[in-house]
Amino acid sequence: MFGENTTLEMESKTINSGIVALDEVLKGLRLGDNVVWQVDNLKDYSYFVEPFADQALHDSGYCVYLRFAPHPPIIGPRQGLMIKEVDPRGGFDFFSAEVHRVIEEWAKKKFFIFDNLSALVEEWATDELLANFFQVTCPFLRELDTVAYFALTRGQHAHNAVARIRDTTQVLIDVYRIKGNMYMHPLKVWDRYSPQMFLPHVVTERSWQPVFQSGEAAAVSATARKQPLRPMESSIAPWDSVYNKLIQYRETRKDSQQITPEVLALKEEFSRMLIGNHPEFNRLADSYFALEDLYSIRDRMIGSGRIGGKAAGMLLARRILLEEESEIDFSQVLEDHDSFYIGSDVFFTFLVHNDLFKLRLKLSRDSQISREEFEEVEQSFLAGRFSTEIMEQFRSMLEYFGQAPIIVRSSSLLEDSFGNSFAGKYRSEFCANQGSPDERLEVFLRAVKLVYASTLSPDALSYRRRRGLGESDEQMAILVQRVSGIPYNDYFFPSLAGVAFSRNLYAWTSRIDSNKGLIRLVFGLGTRAVNRVGGDYPRMIAVSHPQLRPEVGMEIAKYSQHEIDLLDLKTNKFVTLPTAEVLSKDNYPNTHLLVSIMKDGYLHDPYAMIHPDSREKLVLTFNILISGTNFVEITGNMLERLDRAYGHPVDTEFTASVDPGGTVRVNLLQCRPLWLPGLSGPAKVPDNIPQERTLFKAKRVISGGVVSRIQHIIYIDPRRYAEITSMELKRSVGRVVGRLNGHRRLVAGKFLMMGPGRWGSGNIDLGVNVSYADIDNTAVLVEIAREDSGHVPEVSYGTHFFQDLVEGQIIYLPVYPDDPETMFNNLFFKGSTNILTDLLPESGEFENVVHVIDVPKIADGAYARVVADPQSHSAICFLG
Amino acid sequence: MKKELNPFSIAQTQLDDAAEKLGLDKATHELLRWPMQELKITIPVKMDDGSTKIFHAFRIQYNTARGPAKGGIRWHPDETVDTVRALAAWMTWKTSVVDIPLGGGKGGIICSPKELSEAEKERLARAYIRAIARSLGVTKDVPAPDVYTTPQIMAWMMDEYETIMGEKHPGVITGKPIALGGSQGRGDATARGGIYVTQEAATAYGIDLKGQTMAIQGFGNAGQYAARLGEKILGLKLVAASDSKGGIYNANGIDVEALIEHKLKNGRVNGFPEAEEISNELLLELEVAVLFPAALENVVTGENAPRLRCKILCELANGPTTPDADDILFDKGIIVLPDFLANAGGVTVSYLEQVQNTYNLYWEIEEIHWRLKEKMSRAFKSVYEMSQSQKVNMRQAAYLVSVARVAEACKLRGWV
Repeated sequence: MFGENTTLEMESKTINSGIVALDEVLKGLRLGDNVVWQVDNLKDYSYFVEPFADQALHDSGYCVYLRFAPHPPIIGPRQGLMIKEVDPRGGFDFFSAEVHRVIEEWAKKKFFIFDNLSALVEEWATDELLANFFQVTCPFLRELDTVAYFALTRGQHAHNAVARIRDTTQVLIDVYRIKGNMYMHPLKVWDRYSPQMFLPHVVTERSWQPVFQSGEAAAVSATARKQPLRPMESSIAPWDSVYNKLIQYRETRKDSQQITPEVLALKEEFSRMLIGNHPEFNRLADSYFALEDLYSIRDRMIGSGRIGGKAAGMLLARRILLEEESEIDFSQVLEDHDSFYIGSDVFFTFLVHNDLFKLRLKLSRDSQISREEFEEVEQSFLAGRFSTEIMEQFRSMLEYFGQAPIIVRSSSLLEDSFGNSFAGKYRSEFCANQGSPDERLEVFLRAVKLVYASTLSPDALSYRRRRGLGESDEQMAILVQRVSGIPYNDYFFPSLAGVAFSRNLYAWTSRIDSNKGLIRLVFGLGTRAVNRVGGDYPRMIAVSHPQLRPEVGMEIAKYSQHEIDLLDLKTNKFVTLPTAEVLSKDNYPNTHLLVSIMKDGYLHDPYAMIHPDSREKLVLTFNILISGTNFVEITGNMLERLDRAYGHPVDTEFTASVDPGGTVRVNLLQCRPLWLPGLSGPAKVPDNIPQERTLFKAKRVISGGVVSRIQHIIYIDPRRYAEITSMELKRSVGRVVGRLNGHRRLVAGKFLMMGPGRWGSGNIDLGVNVSYADIDNTAVLVEIAREDSGHVPEVSYGTHFFQDLVEGQIIYLPVYPDDPETMFNNLFFKGSTNILTDLLPESGEFENVVHVIDVPKIADGAYARVVADPQSHSAICFLG
Repeated sequence: MKKELNPFSIAQTQLDDAAEKLGLDKATHELLRWPMQELKITIPVKMDDGSTKIFHAFRIQYNTARGPAKGGIRWHPDETVDTVRALAAWMTWKTSVVDIPLGGGKGGIICSPKELSEAEKERLARAYIRAIARSLGVTKDVPAPDVYTTPQIMAWMMDEYETIMGEKHPGVITGKPIALGGSQGRGDATARGGIYVTQEAATAYGIDLKGQTMAIQGFGNAGQYAARLGEKILGLKLVAASDSKGGIYNANGIDVEALIEHKLKNGRVNGFPEAEEISNELLLELEVAVLFPAALENVVTGENAPRLRCKILCELANGPTTPDADDILFDKGIIVLPDFLANAGGVTVSYLEQVQNTYNLYWEIEEIHWRLKEKMSRAFKSVYEMSQSQKVNMRQAAYLVSVARVAEACKLRGWV
């Protein structure tokens, strides 16, 4: 079986275990071996570890002991033994990364001892994660030619998990005691064989004899009390054990309303397992979620693990609205939901099974990835597969939904939390869900994989790096929701969708009460409300004064929504169509609530239903919805309740519909704490700055603050940008901006970016084509808006882009050079020396578009300073 | 920052030039320099939250020698009495040059319509009418929409007036919704009037416009209609159009309807396929048969006037040409159709609305169009003849015609 060469190789890699008899049974350990000891108690593990460690120390002088479990140390301190402590309470992601770091650092020392792996399940709740950890760590150790010892408590883990460990490790040995005798039973010894290797061996001081004689073997095996590997449902991992206890409680105390302290503790533990451990959120979850709520989450979960921030936020918000007393009965208003959750464990299992874990680890550490590299990463994810068991659950879920459109939404552990929103960083994918079951499954799987891949997108990594979340446990759960709406001709979409905030910072007139909230409303899918779409404008509704809007007359038509996002059921795709095309086909229900009519050169609200023969141009204004239904009242009330319960302003996403009788119903899709710009109180804007030292003034300021010592200004000349006819060149400008954003000279100090608005817009003509990762290092982002004077255009307030700026503490300022009330020092920006090619020598062709100004060099040592005051809606940038 | 000039002073200066050329006597000249009646009002209005806000407003009847005052009502936060006076003066010359039996007036309320709910706007509109009702009427003063006032506001105002009077007076205000006595043809009236004047000018100067080219600066309501009607009525081909964000050009022609759609969708003309980009400045200098400045003031100046290459400059905007440019254009032989003649289509159709209200008989669109055409054509001819006989540019000629008519009316009445 073993050729001569192989024998030679074996002999050259053979390692002594410290126990001669063991080496004889196993034909010696080898470099690259991972040895898993399944034991009933840790003393048995120590029996093998101690000699191993001593041997290692004798042979090489070093041995590394990874300590992470609460049990007493497996081995005491000794010369040469490096004890490395790693805390599993930081979560799977953090722990795995940290262990890998230790291994990498100490790989040359060759010999590793691990604490009992079973302790990890107590911390992480599921066997799934334990198996995942082993599956990524073991091959890594093997690659580095180390020898490592692990322990696993016999009979405590699900069959599936142990099977994965067995498949991954090189050596698996069962250890047990019968009538005072210790037996060791090799279950797996990779690439070695002898006729008696896989028999139980009685362990004595001198030699280990195989139990060969059948009668004796049967007696040993039968009386070994070796716990049969339990089916998964009976595993005593907390994930299952806590749940089982609670179910038992439910069965036995059906009629009782009281919860005992013991059950309360279990409930809280169950809640943490499903939702996570964030103190502010846990407070709310414990207050509002009943046991039935938690059961229902688990019953609709695919895989195991947590449901993530987005799902948790949505469920909590719904519960708050149904619980809290108010003049509006939300049980009559809220649409039912029947979402499913793909647990966070499935994400890591996917990574591990498809060899993507190391890639993710590397990229998360490096935090830099180009768009081209990310496209390759996406392809790797798309090629990945799920386990049979998970696939079955996917199929079952899709059968439940049938051909109803669904949306696959990211719901990572850190998302939508009190610290970080991750707004728009991860993907959501619509599935029109048409076609055969196999086709629908194919599309669904693709959607899930794309969401998973988005954890490594440039924007996501950049966001994590900026927020100091590089080492945090960030696992991706997924929320699968039914898309709200009705079918209309060949399309499917909701009547109303949008975002609503319980604070309104877009108070463009002093009449508006900032504390009453703001709604950004669109017709069709809500993607148009959260994304910055060039040339299209949601309706911004101030809850305190819903009829007021900054546009008047024909401007209303211009600053309205012209396109609608919807699902095309015929082509099975997400599409964008002109609203006129959608509304012209037939009588869409309640059109009169949504539109005003442009006729004879002016806009007026419809008096009744729209009649096709009198149909003029329709403009989406939602005027009658606002004045004629209680939509705004309901939404305002919803925001107030959630804000009060959270004790913090909130940001929600929703869809809504109005039935023929005028009853409004709302589907709350998401709720999270709202990030507010850092300084909402007054900042004194100096009014005595000489004109020659003023660079610009701004009105309609939303985000406030003071930024001093601005050393560089990146100025994109709006006219020159507009003159670029090639799309590719325009895109290149965005890339130049991205490179400048990351340039060490600029990042060493503070810099300000300014250019033609609307930055981050999907329409490259209307703004520089950048994403968050391209601008995240700037201190101030200035949009130069050349609009007709006297008009305030729609700002990005409320979009994911704006939220990024707020969270990144980047001050956002719109500047209108054509407005006589503002001021813009053209001469400074265009006349100053451009150092673009000093920084990026290869970008010479963009010198007339992109100007980089070294402020102190131009201004005799003076830096630029920005003072923005949202109270007075004014800001100034000056030299000083 | 733009230098602030008193608009009323500018209006007076323009009158002074005309008065001098006409050789008006001192008294007549002095009479025409000032508004004949000014009403300044203070209006309390209940707001939605129960509080009361005080608004300040004006109604100025500049001159009513030729007929009841006519002029719009502006709602603007920066309204001033001098602006309203100037505009009232220009309305006087406008109604006179198109020879409709109306004088000139203007009104304004200092307010920000964006900051008013629909209910508050209605209360304000009605309160304004209550304050000035005694001065209004089909025989006295007939307001119309203007900046930030809409047909809906006109409807509320008419309703309030009728409530005060206790009878129907649809003609008290124009620009009403059609359902309440508004006239057909209001939407494109300004541009249509300009097209008719252009047509007359082409005939007078022996220019065949069919198949020739046009460029439009400012692609808002007036500009878009000018494009449509220029194509339909004059047979012109649109080769360039611009707005505040820039312009486009295609020597082979631009699909007007497609461009209008593109503008509505994208908020700009830029990015229109199969057309190259062109700046606002260069658009003015294109070699076209007709150039329509339809947006901003002071775009044709002494600096760029020498480079203009159009044959006809039809001013759909107010004040697009500076005085120093006028002489240069005249010397170059460019036919300038001055603003208050070219864009008088709107007030003419307002007058037709009044007429229909009085008759209680409402015309179809075709009748409105031919009546408008007739008025604009005659108006052009008067101005053209004056220009030829007095050897002055068309703007000066238009002032001479209009001021002379008002002066005549004042004289005949025995006011001077």
